[in-house]
Amino acid sequence: MNISVQSKQEVPALSFSVRVKSGVKKNWYKFSRNKLSVVGLIIVLIIVFSAIFAPLIVPYPHHAGKFVDYANAGTAPCAEYWFGTDNFGRDIFSRIIFAFRGALYMAALVLAIAVPIGVFLGLIAGYYQGTFLDTVIMRVTDIFLSVPPLLLALAIAAVLKPNLTNAMIAVTVMWWPWYTRLVYGMATSTRNEYFVKASELIGAGRLHIIFREILPNCLSPIFTKMALDVGWVILIGASLSFVGLGEQPPTPALGQMVSDGTRYMPDLWWMTVFPSLAIAVTILGFNLMGDGIRDMMAKGEYDRE
Amino acid sequence: MKLSSYVIKRLLYSIFVLLGLSIVIFIIARVVPGDPARLALGPRAPQFAVDALREEMHLDKSLPVQYFYWIKGVATGDLGKSLITKRNVVEDIAEFLPATLELVLVSALFVIVFSIFFGALAARYKDTWVDSFIRVMAYTGVAVPSFVLAVIFLLLFGYIWPIIPVLGRLSAGIQPPPTITGLITIDSLLTGQLDVFFDALKHLILPALALAVGPLFQEARIVRSAMTENMGKDYLAAAVGFGMPDHVITGKYLLKPSLIPAVSVMGLDIASLMSNAFLVEVIFNWPGISRYGMEAMLRKDLNAISAVIIVFGLIFVLVNILVDLIVAYLDPRIRLGGRSS
Amino acid sequence: MGNLVKHKKLAAMIALVFFTAVVLAGCGGGGDQEGTSQGGERIIRISEANVPNIDPGVGSDYASSIALVNIYDTLVFPDHDGSVKPWVATDWETSSDGLTWTFNLRKGVKFHNGDELTAEDVVFSMERMLTMGEGYAYLFTEVVEDVKALDDYTVQFKLKKPFGPFLQTLVRLYILNKEQVVSNLGDGPYGEMGDYGKEWLITNDAGSGPYMVKELKKQEYLYAVKFDDYWGGWEEDAPEAFKIIGTTSPSTIRTLMTRRELEITDQWQTKEALEALDNIEGVEVNAAFTGTILNIMLNTKKAPTDDVHFRKALTYLFDYDTAVNSLFPGCKKTVGPISESLPGFSKDLTVFEQNLEKAKEELAKSKYAGSLDQYTVELAWIAEVPDEEKVALMLQSNAQELGINVDVVKVPWLSFVDQIAKPESTPNASLVFVSPHYGEAGTIFESRYHSKSTGTWEQCEWLQDKELDAMIEDAIGTINFEERLPKYGAIQKKIVDLAPTIWAFDQAEKRAYQADYVMWPAAERIKKDEPVTPVMGYMFYFRDFKVYPDRIPQ
Repeated sequence: MNISVQSKQEVPALSFSVRVKSGVKKNWYKFSRNKLSVVGLIIVLIIVFSAIFAPLIVPYPHHAGKFVDYANAGTAPCAEYWFGTDNFGRDIFSRIIFAFRGALYMAALVLAIAVPIGVFLGLIAGYYQGTFLDTVIMRVTDIFLSVPPLLLALAIAAVLKPNLTNAMIAVTVMWWPWYTRLVYGMATSTRNEYFVKASELIGAGRLHIIFREILPNCLSPIFTKMALDVGWVILIGASLSFVGLGEQPPTPALGQMVSDGTRYMPDLWWMTVFPSLAIAVTILGFNLMGDGIRDMMAKGEYDRE
Repeated sequence: MKLSSYVIKRLLYSIFVLLGLSIVIFIIARVVPGDPARLALGPRAPQFAVDALREEMHLDKSLPVQYFYWIKGVATGDLGKSLITKRNVVEDIAEFLPATLELVLVSALFVIVFSIFFGALAARYKDTWVDSFIRVMAYTGVAVPSFVLAVIFLLLFGYIWPIIPVLGRLSAGIQPPPTITGLITIDSLLTGQLDVFFDALKHLILPALALAVGPLFQEARIVRSAMTENMGKDYLAAAVGFGMPDHVITGKYLLKPSLIPAVSVMGLDIASLMSNAFLVEVIFNWPGISRYGMEAMLRKDLNAISAVIIVFGLIFVLVNILVDLIVAYLDPRIRLGGRSS
Repeated sequence: MGNLVKHKKLAAMIALVFFTAVVLAGCGGGGDQEGTSQGGERIIRISEANVPNIDPGVGSDYASSIALVNIYDTLVFPDHDGSVKPWVATDWETSSDGLTWTFNLRKGVKFHNGDELTAEDVVFSMERMLTMGEGYAYLFTEVVEDVKALDDYTVQFKLKKPFGPFLQTLVRLYILNKEQVVSNLGDGPYGEMGDYGKEWLITNDAGSGPYMVKELKKQEYLYAVKFDDYWGGWEEDAPEAFKIIGTTSPSTIRTLMTRRELEITDQWQTKEALEALDNIEGVEVNAAFTGTILNIMLNTKKAPTDDVHFRKALTYLFDYDTAVNSLFPGCKKTVGPISESLPGFSKDLTVFEQNLEKAKEELAKSKYAGSLDQYTVELAWIAEVPDEEKVALMLQSNAQELGINVDVVKVPWLSFVDQIAKPESTPNASLVFVSPHYGEAGTIFESRYHSKSTGTWEQCEWLQDKELDAMIEDAIGTINFEERLPKYGAIQKKIVDLAPTIWAFDQAEKRAYQADYVMWPAAERIKKDEPVTPVMGYMFYFRDFKVYPDRIPQ
């Protein structure tokens, strides 16, 4: 990314495209060196695609909403219902695809809110290292990191009204401190680098230094962590919805489907098994892709084992 | 920095962190709508009794004053009454904590033993199918949440292939041993009741495995890469050259340094074990503090929620100190003072 | 060079670790002694939604009622037909104005600690209940003026107003040993009575019933054993102990039933789970009509359910046939607020049926006819009762056909109880099973539709209809049962006109039980088509049960 910004300024048009292409190529090379990353990317693309176009591609879109059909309740997997139907007679396949929507929405929104907050606080604390502001921010961060994350999220979500929004609030509240800590570490070291000192000397403002000098140097690890975190957010979201603290029925959610299924084991085993697989495959896909992005972001390590 | 002063410093800081945590929890617990006194006595209780209880619980005071009373209670071991069990939360915790500790300890044991085993195996058979298998397991282990694993275990071993018990801590009809530590396996061994010990152990296998599988294979990968790296080190060849005994070479020069990176992420693993225990205990009907905490959360039993989180925070903080100490023991190069910031 | 080490030593190390692993895993397979179910003990184990609350002044849910019925004694005991028979009270008389009730007590009734039960204990138990105001106290707070002991064996109640079903309500006055409770008082809000023994009574009993508490394990079970000196004596093969287990988890229940470690299941098992249980050898499913109705309570103080036509539209929308045929097979359709099995039930009403035409008509008459899209009906179901979700989702999809938005919410019981304390926070519609507290229609009118019960989980309608209140008070103030009946009928008609509730169905309380080795009197009566007592908990008076451990199927 930063390559393209530089080239815009200095390099003539023709070679610009060449360099961008080589940048993409290089990144793709780094990413795809591990075939598993490509597998992950494909899984993620399929999931995102099917979530976006869910109403068009699933056989029974209305089964994801206010619908019951007790005549067809508990049908085993067959040609008509690939993954069978649940105790309400709703197509499990259709519901899983629709459940991806909530999961992705949650991951995107949680990261979109938690990361800027966490990064901002980390930058401020790092820049004002040693001051009162630093102490306050980092002590609060430590407090939030002193309990296992899922636990705090459960507590917050439980105390609020159970729905998707509150589940997202709960996860966001426990997610930002990790970014604060990450950025803090990098910001404290970067602010003592010569190029920061130099721009301070020529009279650059604090905002400029924080956002234009320090922040760009933290971006690569931030993006790497974000890529790896998507799977985690989905996992935590599934855990919350497993105990009934996420999306409320009849809107489907993966964790909720698994927990509903356990009541009908072993007779309606498909109610449990397919949503479980969906959770595993989703998280696996995002983790593998995250690993690929981490490889891609790693600087110049062509010969890493 | 000396060990003792390091530990004291860490402990003091932990107290500060836990105090902060208590404020966070207090705020969470008090923003909830509803009158805790009314909740405790039920909708038909006469107003005078509710008022009396409100006064007893200091609910008529301002929030900071309420916090003061609450934290004073926490310090003196009085965490208030639970709505569910109608008794002091401290008693509940004393009753339910050992079951969770037993579960988490056994799964931590699984993680340690099997991660070293599989890690060493993968290192020994590097780049063969064994290595690949363990790598695949590492990826899947992380991707399958422990509650999903628990549900699948329940389906497999509860119904389809019922060879291991799936519910509770002991089979019906087996009398639990007298409480000494509260950990049934240890208590039964202390009192020499082998049949109880084995029964308890059988009940532990599935829930502990459901918790352990995720962290286990990840740790195995870490052990593997540390070992492959260390195996190529010259000092090992030198040690062999000196004619040192085999067990010294493997134990002191290969295994010990290879464990450092694995142990240092153990703290995070414990966090994942403890929080996942929340869901796994519910599934396996394990009468531990997590199941109690889960129920407290679903029923908005605020005193119980606060207490459970404080207890978990405390355990988590202590585990992290312990992990740092173990890492320092394994790797003398690490100076404790430098890590406390 | 490193290869030297790599092979031999590493192999040895792997062997070592593997050995540890095998030992660990081996332990698991090692103990083969299967837990044999408590060697021939005559015990009834029953699962319930929660561990009972065994304080007679506090407990009032199903599990607690079962426990209290077996641990404590009452002045009178409910008979199968809904009337009561003498119990601790041998006989009684009523003053002509119906305000004074005098009971003569049986002599020689022993509490579990050996003390004799006297009139003082009855007085104490009633006063304790009235002061604390929890549990079943509401049956008495509006009625009982004063209670006193005339002598050791005579107790007299003074009522505030005539109350017809007073005798029937006395099955909820469990008699505590005053001396024992007073010597175990803790700190609390009740003045000189401290906590009224609440703390102590959580895990101990002070009763005289056929069973005494042996162990109450929080979150797990209540275990009680036979009281040998019970005044009523014992028959052969009666259970020597009972255990109420606080779980409804279907996997647990099924495992326990298969292993014969549970004799009777709870009534909250889903239809699918019951079918599976029925397939276990020797297990039968017993369906009893005990006056329980699944109510969809409509909040009459909140838009849009504050409009009577809107509510009527909902009652016509609901698919009663699917409910009793597919969702809850064996249950019956209702005619109104009172179950067919409860004395006082009116036969003059018509059975509810789904009728979309009528629903549309009513909807058109309602003030929300043109603005349906602006309103959402919040429909709450109780998290602990999974089958309710089926009803909730069905109503939701029924309502959608007419363009009514229904929002289904799952609420844990305790939050629900908190939510319904105020009309603003009470959901538009709430799915709640309500059982009669004593064996007559009056109980339902009082606890469900009289203004005094608003804000409790039994009335989420907030009906507050003055005229109806007066009718109910008049009916239950009528001492003669035959005279009460037509008044009960009029009340039922009036309530149906107000349409505060969708009476989804008359519930058959279904429980699987070990028919091969347990003789359950209520189940036997049902097989013979005889009535069973509709008073919650009394189907499980374990002293009348028989257990034959030698008949347990292998």
